[in-house]
Amino acid sequence: MPSASERLLTPTRAAGGVALLAFAAVALAYPSIAPNPYLLSVGIVVLNYAVLSTSWNFVGGFTGYISLGHGALAGLGAYGTGLLVTKAGLPSFVALAAAAVMVAVLAVPLGYAALRVRGASFVIVSIALVLVTLLVFQSWASFTGGSRGLNVPRPFPGLLRPEHHRVFFYLFLALLAVALLVWWLIDRSRFGLGLKAIREDEDKAEALGTPTFAYKLVVFVVSAFFTGLAGGLYALWFGDLDPIFQFSILTGSYMVLMALLGGVRNLFGPLVGALLVGSALEYFKVEFGNTPLHLVATGVLLALVVLFMPDGVLPALGALFRRFSPTTDSSIREVTAAELAAQRTGGDLHAQSRNG
Amino acid sequence: MPSGALLFQSVILGLLLGGLYALLAAGLTLYFGIMRVVMIAHSAFLILAAYLAWWSHTELGIDPLLSMVVTVPLFFGCGVLLQRLLLARLRAVTLTMMSVLLTFAIAVVIEGLLGYVFSGTQRRIQLGYGAASLELLGARIAVVKLIAFGLAGVALASLYLVMKKTTFGWALRATIQHRDAAKLVGIDTDRVAGYGFGLGLATAAVGGTALSLDTTIYPSLHWHWIGPLMAIIVVGGLGSVPGAAAAAMVLGLAQSLLQIELGTTWAQTVFYIALFLTLAVRPQGFFGGRLAQRF
Amino acid sequence: MRSLETVELTKAFGGNVVLDKTSVSFRHGKVNALIGPNGSGKTTFFNCVTGMIRPDSGRVTYGGTDITRRTPHVIARAGLGRTFQLCRVFPRMTVLDNVLAATRPHGVNLFRGARGRAEVDRARDWLTRLGIEHLAGAEARNLSWGQQKLLELAGVLMSEPETVLLDEPAGGVNPALLDRIGGLVRDLNAEGRTFVIVEHNMDLVMSISDHIVVFDRGRPIAEGPPSVIRTDERVLGAYLGV
Repeated sequence: MPSASERLLTPTRAAGGVALLAFAAVALAYPSIAPNPYLLSVGIVVLNYAVLSTSWNFVGGFTGYISLGHGALAGLGAYGTGLLVTKAGLPSFVALAAAAVMVAVLAVPLGYAALRVRGASFVIVSIALVLVTLLVFQSWASFTGGSRGLNVPRPFPGLLRPEHHRVFFYLFLALLAVALLVWWLIDRSRFGLGLKAIREDEDKAEALGTPTFAYKLVVFVVSAFFTGLAGGLYALWFGDLDPIFQFSILTGSYMVLMALLGGVRNLFGPLVGALLVGSALEYFKVEFGNTPLHLVATGVLLALVVLFMPDGVLPALGALFRRFSPTTDSSIREVTAAELAAQRTGGDLHAQSRNG
Repeated sequence: MPSGALLFQSVILGLLLGGLYALLAAGLTLYFGIMRVVMIAHSAFLILAAYLAWWSHTELGIDPLLSMVVTVPLFFGCGVLLQRLLLARLRAVTLTMMSVLLTFAIAVVIEGLLGYVFSGTQRRIQLGYGAASLELLGARIAVVKLIAFGLAGVALASLYLVMKKTTFGWALRATIQHRDAAKLVGIDTDRVAGYGFGLGLATAAVGGTALSLDTTIYPSLHWHWIGPLMAIIVVGGLGSVPGAAAAAMVLGLAQSLLQIELGTTWAQTVFYIALFLTLAVRPQGFFGGRLAQRF
Repeated sequence: MRSLETVELTKAFGGNVVLDKTSVSFRHGKVNALIGPNGSGKTTFFNCVTGMIRPDSGRVTYGGTDITRRTPHVIARAGLGRTFQLCRVFPRMTVLDNVLAATRPHGVNLFRGARGRAEVDRARDWLTRLGIEHLAGAEARNLSWGQQKLLELAGVLMSEPETVLLDEPAGGVNPALLDRIGGLVRDLNAEGRTFVIVEHNMDLVMSISDHIVVFDRGRPIAEGPPSVIRTDERVLGAYLGV
């Protein structure tokens, strides 16, 4: 008998489907209903964040390995695209693809160093990546333009500014759809189940025969590829790169914040997080300009999410929704009170064994 | 080929810098030993201490060294609170990852507040003895660098004595080695862990004061410190204080020598190259490190 | 047919020698037990054999193949499945997914779903056999301790091991469940699976094992069928500290 939760249309699922359709409809219509080019460009920025945090979530969501360095991968995609166009004379979108492939290839040695051992090394490498790329791209001025920045020619020189925005809005939307599709495919696959096993208990997963290192490496490379694509597409759209912004530790932390806030176990978690945080970021930029308080707000928000809502808003909403429709998901409650008490101690023991 | 005197001077400067790295890396290692936490905010507190030293010098006119009378106990208290109120709340299963995010968030908040209160302007203490220097075999060594090294040395030595000679140090080492066993012999491991964090953060207060003596400071400077420091603790073998100290000296020396040919910016990459090579070739680090294999 | 063997396996933590040139050989197709006082190195032995920790020296062979210092997943795929001393399941996955996560073969293929009909049927068969099928949709962390132990076993069995290493299967379970686990081991053994069991519960060990190896301070001091071990003076000495 197939399990009920898989086949039946539960209220939670129905609500999710309606929300998705509504989002898709609004997103497709947005370029036509946006009142001015500025708001359209804000839409692009938010979409860019959504692609970035969804890409981040290939690693963060499936394996639980948190990278603070994905900003650098996006920056490499952007600079790779820009340099391939300006120095090698490649057509814009060929350069974009090539740059993303290069970022993915670079992710292999990075992942090799960072993923053989457990979590802490991965985080350290990810932060180091941002710091070292910033250093290199600022200092190697003869090649990268250094702090003066790099100008990337537009791919469609004939288009007027609003048209340019409109085209890129749809390009980003398409990229987001592809990233979500691949995440969804992994989520349902045996490979994805293995990755989630790594997130839950890596030793245990390996003892069951999961090739954990290879799995982590593959998903890291996939994540790097999409991150590189997003960065490159941004370069083609924005046209002006500065190492300070491209290799900023903040970009990476925005991705983490968005994914975490939305919910990393959720296909649409990073997208929801990007809509919330991305819009807020743009709003505050307009209202208050670029002040150091941006940093404070980001930090405080991140700390609050980590402390009080590590599963994100989507699961919280789901729980709220289920509370008002108490018809489904009752099978768990077959456990008795005595068993629940036993489970407490069992859980504690488990935590200790992980800790030791 | 650089002259012998220049080379000699670089070696001295490298060792002096290495001493400061060693002190700060010891703090990071302490946190990692206690809770398996990579404390990203360590260097943000370092810069905060440097700002406090600078502020007390320019606003109150007192010697920056005296600011430690306030900053060291203050940071100790912050460390205890940080551990007890924030890090202890995180779930054990995801502690390593979530603690990185939490301490990262704290680092960003400190950076933002420093920028807001003191603005992004670069600051530097102008000391009466700031320009004084010693000549030794043709090498010129600034007095302030010697003071900074002396501070780091004294702090490291005190840390060593506390760890090896006091009851608290014994309890702390027991907690680091085997938390459950420490609990069984009656150690209040939560309290000890809190004080351990306090001790770690106190090293940042000392380090920050030392740093303020001869360095231009600005709010985002902490990123230039946390990178090298993380590299040092990995190369040294996560969790090993002697390993971290040895790695700090070697890498500090390497950085100083490379500066002759490459300039300051490129010389910094030596840390990241060392980090990458260590993880690729010998993830448990080069100087021991019992814990490193699993993290 | 040769089974699991170690030759002079040695492991020390710091100066503490836990396994001291340990050479053991287990009987293929039988229920083997590994007993000994606390701290005699049984769990370290398991961890070295399954690749969770690297031995300092010595060799481990399985079916004649050298598996020393192989990574745990390679060893698992060679046919050695294991449970952990303090039972370990994937806490935030459903019971069914816990079992499905052990499905072979592993590999990167986006289009091979995790819940193919054949796998789900097989997973449910194991859950049924262990008596926890009714919990298939529950999250593993909501299970009782005993249920989690059964779930862990179901996962290991799903990975189709030839040889199953059980680390204290009776730890913390009630007498009724203990009987069930004992019976299950005998049944699975009758179907051709080899077992190596680390266990403190002597009643269980004596009632289900064919061959017992006794560890003391990191080396085997006696081995043989239960009837022999029960009367061996060295074993009594090791347990009573004589």
